[in-house]
Amino acid sequence: MAASQDNSTAALALSEEAFSPELQLANLLGLCEAQMESALQESDRAVDTLIKAFGGLVEVTRSLSTMAANLPPEVKAGIAQDLDRQLATMSQQMGTAVMAFQFYDKLTQRLGHVRYSLSTLALFACDRTQMNQPEQWTRLLNTMRRLYRTEEERQVFSAIMDGVASDSAAATPSDGESAPAAGEVELF
Amino acid sequence: MPGVILAVDDSASMRQMVRFTLESAGYKVVQAADGVEALEFAKQNPADLVLTDVNMPRMDGISLVRELRALDNYKFVPVLVLTTESGNDTKQRGKEAGATGWIVKPFNPEQLLATIARVL
Repeated sequence: MAASQDNSTAALALSEEAFSPELQLANLLGLCEAQMESALQESDRAVDTLIKAFGGLVEVTRSLSTMAANLPPEVKAGIAQDLDRQLATMSQQMGTAVMAFQFYDKLTQRLGHVRYSLSTLALFACDRTQMNQPEQWTRLLNTMRRLYRTEEERQVFSAIMDGVASDSAAATPSDGESAPAAGEVELF
Repeated sequence: MPGVILAVDDSASMRQMVRFTLESAGYKVVQAADGVEALEFAKQNPADLVLTDVNMPRMDGISLVRELRALDNYKFVPVLVLTTESGNDTKQRGKEAGATGWIVKPFNPEQLLATIARVL
């Protein structure tokens, strides 16, 4: 085999002795998991850089606010209103960014649950005896249901179990509409 | 008057977001990556408020609340749970453990500061 040969072509040559549908299914689920992990690691690095840059902006804004507060009255007199307005706008936009950054954290958490589901399913798929027992499938589904912690995950799970098509089940709230329960505060 | 807040979350980016928000209001923020780290801090140091996530390695947020309530100097310190979990069962477990309140992520910075001011 030439060193430059396309690996994806070589990988498709499965020997009949080694073939089993369970193993192939487990391998493909493992592939999905690995692709997801690789993409997540890449985006983690990018988001980390973004957060560091954002942290720098927060520091600059804070310094500007302190400088503005300490301006001599005669200098501040002519620009006070405009300066305060600009600083308030910056602070408001940073608040919006803080909320947006948190969605990445939530995404990471949800994808972590999907990864765990895939690896659980891969293990399950390797065992033909389990695959043929409805009660084992029920146990698997219950394990997965317990895994989903956010309201959105639970809704998608219930919709799929109720037979709703996956693209409809995954429908997200429209633009500007908050996720269910997000930001909810309850004091005991 | 702003005080010391112990922010507990296994996500570094979440801890940063909490820190940016709280420091902008003048609070001093101490960070911990899980319940074990937070408890180690609490055994040696006071804090005016604890803000904790639920799902974390080594020790989750609900267990942390329970452990904090067993410490003399944290019996009455407000503990707010900040989590993506909104299920009533988990919330009830948090309440029983001694949490002061429950905030569902993503938090709105102004709302978080208003809630903290209310319980301090």
